[in-house]
Amino acid sequence: MSITLAIDTSTSRTSVALIKNNEVLFNKFHDDPIAHGEVLPKLVAQALGIETEIDLVVVGMGPGPFTGLRSGIAFAQSFSFGRGIKWIGVCSLDAMAAGIKESDFLVSTDARRKERFWARYIGSVRDGQPQVSNINELLKLNLPIFSEGDYFPDPVQLAKLAKLNDSITKPIYIRKPDAYPVPKNIKFRIMTNLDLISASAIEKQVYGKSAWSLNQFKEEFSKVPKSAQYLVAELDGGVIGYAGIVFNADVADIHTITVVDSQRRKGIGRELLKRMIDWARSKKADAVMLEMRLGNDKARPLYEQIGFVEVSKRENYYAPGVTAVVMRKELK
Amino acid sequence: MSPIVLGIETSCDETAVGIVNGRNLLANVISSSVEEHVRFGGVVPEVASRAHLESMQQVINQALLDAKIKISDVDAIAVTAGPGLIGALLVGVSSASGLALALNKPLYGVNHLNAHIAVDTLDSQEEFRPSIGLLVSGGHSSILQINNLVTDVIVKGSTIDDAAGEAFDKMARIMDLGFPGGPLIDQQSKSGNKDLINFPRGLTQGNEIEKHKFDFSFSGLKTAVARYLAQTPNHKKADVAASFQEAVVDVLISKSLLACKESGIDNLVIAGGVAANSRLRELARQRCESAKVELRIPPANLCTDNGAMVAALGSLAINEGVAASEIGISADSAAPVTQVVWK
Repeated sequence: MSITLAIDTSTSRTSVALIKNNEVLFNKFHDDPIAHGEVLPKLVAQALGIETEIDLVVVGMGPGPFTGLRSGIAFAQSFSFGRGIKWIGVCSLDAMAAGIKESDFLVSTDARRKERFWARYIGSVRDGQPQVSNINELLKLNLPIFSEGDYFPDPVQLAKLAKLNDSITKPIYIRKPDAYPVPKNIKFRIMTNLDLISASAIEKQVYGKSAWSLNQFKEEFSKVPKSAQYLVAELDGGVIGYAGIVFNADVADIHTITVVDSQRRKGIGRELLKRMIDWARSKKADAVMLEMRLGNDKARPLYEQIGFVEVSKRENYYAPGVTAVVMRKELK
Repeated sequence: MSPIVLGIETSCDETAVGIVNGRNLLANVISSSVEEHVRFGGVVPEVASRAHLESMQQVINQALLDAKIKISDVDAIAVTAGPGLIGALLVGVSSASGLALALNKPLYGVNHLNAHIAVDTLDSQEEFRPSIGLLVSGGHSSILQINNLVTDVIVKGSTIDDAAGEAFDKMARIMDLGFPGGPLIDQQSKSGNKDLINFPRGLTQGNEIEKHKFDFSFSGLKTAVARYLAQTPNHKKADVAASFQEAVVDVLISKSLLACKESGIDNLVIAGGVAANSRLRELARQRCESAKVELRIPPANLCTDNGAMVAALGSLAINEGVAASEIGISADSAAPVTQVVWK
């Protein structure tokens, strides 16, 4: 006789099932994308009210949004440790695909940030590793898609799959943590009058005709340090980037973040942006805003990742025909 | 018979499990992911959360081995349910829930901040006496009036900007010392002249002292140090570190002793990660002696985040007859110090 406790927290649904041999004793779920930690113990407590002698724990290892996923795995591991019984990890997408009667199809779940976790199944066997990508990538494959909302990882299938495959022992994260090393050998310090000439030279190189002139810089800079902060990034004594933010009433406005072409993609802009936001926080600003040239939105993914959202567009902002996109990040 | 309590702590970057039997410490195991965070110059929540899940079972197992008990000998589970990083807290809370349900034992969700103070009761024969508490860590700096560790904690003042530990981290970053800043500045300061630079003591002057008698502010100090560094090209790092540290420690202790004096309480307990700072410990000892205030500071290794402190608070809650937490408690990243045990 074998009684299996099966758990999945890889989607917005928290599911718990209790299976005795082939008989399903308990199978319940609760839909809430941010409450796996609270819901799971309650469901398991209900299941334990029916049968407490469990001898195997099976858990969905994702892919799925990390925090909820980890709640299920941490719970399952500790439960099995407490009971001195085995636990087996199964790919959650497999448990979602198991009931689908198609010969070639995709299964997809919400990965947040407008992306999907997904896998392809050919003849009910998964084709390769689960992946994460934009929805458009999936549509290009032109296959039937079975998505979270209509379908969920089924804990009963999870328990069945546990008998067929080797246990997956690590969470299926796919994505790496959003962490970026602090740029090495680069110093960040307050901008002084002595930096204005280097800054305006970089400005010209990066922005061409619409660059601020030295005089515009001087004028802008005369506000410092009253309600503004300007920083430079320095490599081997030379200025390679700068950023400035001004605080008005309750919103802080980032006026510029600029890095020389040769030093791009090294995390310098990100670090400058982070320091601008820290400063705005220290001034107790409600929000930080910035403008970005429409069409020149290389930095847009960075802004979005840090929590900026587009709030409006301003036509003819930089020059006739050049539109600015206004983005805002709430701090409160 | 005193209960055996297993405590789990995952609020920041330490995965920690402690086991106590009443007030006796049986085990205290800590696995830190701090080295993974060094290159980021601060704790990265997702990196910390992943590391918690990865090491949790090993840490629990090691604690049981150290305590020479079986998991089935445990009478209750305690866990930090807040404040802290939400993703990190959830790994601990979910693990604790799994254990409690598997063993059919009560679960106590407890407050990380109060646990820092509760750790002082371990291996002590004396009953806890009403005290002024100075709680100083990377996320918090406050002065508390603690009439009862579990049931009666009042906040007298807090930082209005950075926490003391945060100020140490930021200062270390400005001075290019590395991360985490507390131990690095403590170390640098040992060879420096603490009286060389008279950095400002926040909220101690004029009408500020009226309005913010027991509050702290460290952002002005931070700016003053940054300005000093920029204007003094030939500064010695050790002198700056020592003078900065002195400014922080001086304010912390002065305001704590003022709170003792005003409330007529002659016990001061200092707790939290910053309580491991050697200058804070030294100066507190001197000033308390002259003020005739009895000082208690947990051993330095129990001041930083650990599981023993969580188990200790769980044990005190049981002793006070406080009800266990309900099944399915919520982790609360911003829990106030007045919420000691979760309902």
